[in-house]
Amino acid sequence: MNDLVVVGAGLAGLLAANFAARRGASVTLVAQGRGGLALSHGCLGLGSVAHNPGAFPERHPYRLAGFDKVHPAVAGFQQLSQAAGLEFLGDPETPLQLPTASGAVLSVHFAPRSLAQGSLSASEKICIAGIEGFRDFDSGLVVRGLRRRGYRVDATGLSFPSGRPGRDLYSTDIASALDQDWQSREIARLWAPRLNKVDRVGIPAVLGLAHSVDILTSLQSELGLKLFEIPTLPPSLPGLRLERALRRAALAAGCRVLEGPMATGRLDGTSGGVRALGLSTWTPAGPRVVDAGAVVLATGGALNGGWRATRSGRIHESVFDFPISAPEDREAWIGERLIGPHPYDRFGLTVNSRMQPCGSDGQPFFANVFACGGLLGGADRRTEGSREGIDLVTAYAAVEAALS
Amino acid sequence: MSQRSTQLLVVGGGATGLGVAWDACLRGLDVVVLEQGDLAQGTSGRYHGLLHSGARYVLSDPPSASACALENVILRRVVPHAIEDTGGFFVCPPGDPGEFPDLWLDACRHQGVRAEEITPANALETEPLLSPQITRAFRVHDAALDSFDLLHALAAAISAAGGSVLLHHRLVRLTARPDGFLAAASESGDRLQYIHAQVVVNAGGSYAGKVAALAGSPLPLALGRGAMIAMATRLVNTVVNRCQPPSDGDIIVPIGTVAVLGTTDTPVDSPDDVRIEPWEVDLLLREAAALIPSIEDHRVLRAWAGVRPLYRPPEAPESETRNLPRTHALIDHATSGGPARLFTIIGGKLTTFRLMAEETVDLVAAQLGSSVPCRTADTPLSPPPPRYHRLPYRLEKLSASGAANRQGVICECELVTAEAIHSALDASPTTDLDDLRRDLRLGMGPCQAAFCAYRSAGLLGGREPGVDTNPGLLSFLEERWRGLRPLVWGHTLRQVELNRRVYQDLLALDDR
Amino acid sequence: MKAVSSLADLCVKCNICTAACPVAVVSDEFLGPKAVGPQAERFRHPQWAATDPSVTLCSGCGVCSRVCPHGVPVAELNIQAKAQLASQRGVPLRDRLVARPAMLGALAQPLAPLANAALRARPARALAHVFLGLSRSAPMPQFSARTFRSLQPARRSESPKPVEGRPQLAYFHGCSVNYYEPALGRLTLRVLDRLGYDVWLPPQGCCGLPLQSNGQFAAARRYARTNVRTLAPFAAAGVPILGTSTSCTLALKHDYRAILGLETEQADLLAGAVYDIFEFLRDADPSPLEATTFHPVPLHLLYHAPCQLNAHGIGQPAYDVLRRIPGLSLTLSESECCGVAGTYGLKRERYSLAYAVGGRLFDQVSQVQPDLVVTDSETCRWWVEGHTGVRACHPIEILALALGLQDENGLLGKKAAA
Repeated sequence: MNDLVVVGAGLAGLLAANFAARRGASVTLVAQGRGGLALSHGCLGLGSVAHNPGAFPERHPYRLAGFDKVHPAVAGFQQLSQAAGLEFLGDPETPLQLPTASGAVLSVHFAPRSLAQGSLSASEKICIAGIEGFRDFDSGLVVRGLRRRGYRVDATGLSFPSGRPGRDLYSTDIASALDQDWQSREIARLWAPRLNKVDRVGIPAVLGLAHSVDILTSLQSELGLKLFEIPTLPPSLPGLRLERALRRAALAAGCRVLEGPMATGRLDGTSGGVRALGLSTWTPAGPRVVDAGAVVLATGGALNGGWRATRSGRIHESVFDFPISAPEDREAWIGERLIGPHPYDRFGLTVNSRMQPCGSDGQPFFANVFACGGLLGGADRRTEGSREGIDLVTAYAAVEAALS
Repeated sequence: MSQRSTQLLVVGGGATGLGVAWDACLRGLDVVVLEQGDLAQGTSGRYHGLLHSGARYVLSDPPSASACALENVILRRVVPHAIEDTGGFFVCPPGDPGEFPDLWLDACRHQGVRAEEITPANALETEPLLSPQITRAFRVHDAALDSFDLLHALAAAISAAGGSVLLHHRLVRLTARPDGFLAAASESGDRLQYIHAQVVVNAGGSYAGKVAALAGSPLPLALGRGAMIAMATRLVNTVVNRCQPPSDGDIIVPIGTVAVLGTTDTPVDSPDDVRIEPWEVDLLLREAAALIPSIEDHRVLRAWAGVRPLYRPPEAPESETRNLPRTHALIDHATSGGPARLFTIIGGKLTTFRLMAEETVDLVAAQLGSSVPCRTADTPLSPPPPRYHRLPYRLEKLSASGAANRQGVICECELVTAEAIHSALDASPTTDLDDLRRDLRLGMGPCQAAFCAYRSAGLLGGREPGVDTNPGLLSFLEERWRGLRPLVWGHTLRQVELNRRVYQDLLALDDR
Repeated sequence: MKAVSSLADLCVKCNICTAACPVAVVSDEFLGPKAVGPQAERFRHPQWAATDPSVTLCSGCGVCSRVCPHGVPVAELNIQAKAQLASQRGVPLRDRLVARPAMLGALAQPLAPLANAALRARPARALAHVFLGLSRSAPMPQFSARTFRSLQPARRSESPKPVEGRPQLAYFHGCSVNYYEPALGRLTLRVLDRLGYDVWLPPQGCCGLPLQSNGQFAAARRYARTNVRTLAPFAAAGVPILGTSTSCTLALKHDYRAILGLETEQADLLAGAVYDIFEFLRDADPSPLEATTFHPVPLHLLYHAPCQLNAHGIGQPAYDVLRRIPGLSLTLSESECCGVAGTYGLKRERYSLAYAVGGRLFDQVSQVQPDLVVTDSETCRWWVEGHTGVRACHPIEILALALGLQDENGLLGKKAAA
């Protein structure tokens, strides 16, 4: 019998599985597919939670989880990531200002070393190097954008050997080639001539998936300069590295990972509707059941179907069909412009302070069902810069509540 | 002050205007075309892609039906590369009035529109998504016509024949003179281009009223806005019509990589009113469900609207736009007290553009003293060898170049290569990604520019290092958004969220 | 079940499948599952032959379908596209041969020693490489002198025959046990007997998966219909049908309906009755194992979940069971696919790509230096053992040791020298 079943393999789900396993619970992670980390910059944005918690509205996930959870959750994340071989730099008070692939500036609180080293400063001149023929990062866009914002930037180009000419490369192709061959130092030899007058250079985030830390160290030492990475169009390596590290950590801690099943809630008709028995799932092998002492929903928001919206204006949570309040008029879900806030950003499940999905009366629907991450409503994660922080803190809180 | 002289000035670079210019060029006339936007930015670029067999109008508008039937054959001969020979079906869902099909079949024969009855099983075998409940089915000679390809071919032919097509030139003044007209056109803002013309043809489409007003000779026009939605994949490979009197949402056209569901008809006051309202989307999906019951399981890609101009003949001042005849009208403004040698050609269907042009240029040529006959029915626009468009074309082209050369695909959804983009930019330089989109289908696939917007902005910046590509990138994304707004539910909502994750979160794009 | 091709429009082009694809990441040529799947699907027309063969680089491992968060059946789309190509271009002799292990087995088996000698002889392999397109470097299994079925006459039955007090099972042994590894089948019967079951061998043919993977759907359907018919008496009687080959069980549970389009009540009934053997022992009837006290098994094992097992979506039941065995030191493979993907790695033009796909696993084996590599799929076992030199066995062999059955295969002797 599983103590805990976590549904969803995004950042919140992977963190919840790891936190629970560290507390000694037997955990099964069920996910229909991989989560949003392949689209993510792989950093942690906490929002203003450290220096201005008052800014968050009532019913915000941070308030429900409790601000007292922030510090232990962050500490837990640091332990996990370090044990998994990834070093995250930063602090909850002062965000890092990192360049993006369009020359804009991303503000995050924790970033892996290879990104954190790109922290922008007004005085220092940086060099940005694109990789010739690589579509998903354009140094020209980066340079023009940063210059518009007043930074001193230069551009150069690097080549990448791809054997015989073939297809367009994705970031993962370059990363995989480097993972296989970084020890040969061929890349350093190839790049050195273009970088000989430079102290610090930003390149697209392609420095490996499994061996990213070694590759960075080795290249910096061979080239005699500081390197930093900028996340590319998806697949985004920093997000994939974090995903890989958290999956391996979960497996090493004894979690079972069931990838493939699509879950629907499984209810217990005899307990008066107070407890859920676990999950009914559809798998290619046929319908299967996963029993659980408790269930943590980490299925995300609009992106990967944690909640779904129909043409008729109904929004519902995908596993247990919990209600999600939203206006029936579709036009009321969206804003005027694409790049801007939209009302649906705040849609999501309502939970109580024990992270239990509950009705408007605050009563939980089930004693043993909890929710965390992007599935929760009440937050405009983009404007707040708090997406990963909410994932982290609510996952921590949900696991604590589920196992208490 | 830039000035030029020509025999014929055509206002409007849609199918009608370009058709007129082409016909005139072939008759040896000097022609200039003024188009306020980009090629295919107007109504011609916003239609559902149907090359009519004529079958739709045999009962409601017989002259239109016969004209369509004849022009269908001519266009297949003249511009096959813009046409996909899909064929068409007329099907009868259960519950539709039983007497209509036989009346319709009879009328087809009368009007010279080929139609033959087939079994529903036959239809279902060809199109498995059709409702298994259909009671009768008929085969007709509908086809799909890509208006972008058509307009490009026309514009190229006009230029090759010595005519001029001036894009992004909006007519701001039209003054009648003893020897003709003086037109002033504004090219993106301040610079004015003056054109002296002997004859003016107003082919302004839904803007024809504005053009006529500039000449001081108003036109009674009705404007009807029609909404259409494209499904993300081709659900059918045959045009599917509902066998009933023409009404909203009764047609599905496979065109390129999508299937278009059309259309509605809402009276509007302005040719710029191309909004889509949620009820229109809901209606189109509801109606399509009678033909394809599983339609709601499929993703809607994009919604858009085109404004149809219809001439209100003096004898029918208050008719519903749905009931105004679809036949075209050729108006000599002199006969209603306006200036001489100003003609308006309006209405009609894209399928009959060539015929409309022929009638117009017959009049124009007479005015200019030319007796050269029309040659458009026999002059090919397609490069030899003449071949219909095939759906796999772009995929075949890419794989034909061998495994060694499958690089530089900028828009993966629609297989648009960097090479194609560079060629298009060489031919008509622009920094507007939306112009590129119209030329190449960039960003018109399922992801609606999630990846290719960034990639093409990078490519553009590489060609023109001094240009700030950020505003173009943002406006392209917002333009794509306009067609997604009415569809934000289901998987389209997921796509929108993914696109925002990429641009707002990963790239932190804003308008600075 | 909705038509697979119509689900292509769920794709939002996120590239999660491309990032996870084990073939794309080592190949300059393969465009990736998204590109040859839902993306190319929008350009396919039933009337015209597909000219783009790049979908044949897809190995059919199924990782793409599994990682897609939007429910796009990418792998199934690719399998159908390959079948369409095959029907338009014809199927080479080599693909007809490797797709019919039952036929090959039946032909070679009377001459097993000769056939095996030929498989080992370099000149013969060189000829097969050049003229048939069968890679000379791909490890091949040995034909057994007697088929498994011929060695178990008492177990063969067309329908279940209840014996007082003992629950019944049916065993779908598949071609690999029947023609190449009857000892594995024998061991399976002994394990199940020890756990208290009576096991029958229903009449059965090849599951048809190799035919499906090589685009020969019509032939695959013939095999499928036969199996649906001969297994029906057991399925109808509620007798669980177990398999030791994860590809056979996937075909029976999923592919028959979802890919070959067999949508009958009998096919549904069959799918509901089929289990992977460890799935059955872990989930369907866990009490016999739970009641057993395991003998310690002092071995260091590397467990590799075959891609076809992951495609079931049931996790890794063998690994879950092995974890309960005292004395075992277990390392989990970090690879999604060993590279062979059924018959893919045997093909001359695919061998080096398949080898590259498996590179990571081979590296892990040489780093970890386990006593044994354990994996549920026979093609994985032959491929990994052939390339690493480390003995590969089925997890049931480890379970047999833990149940105290005699170490017939000499596994314990494989323990790495101290």
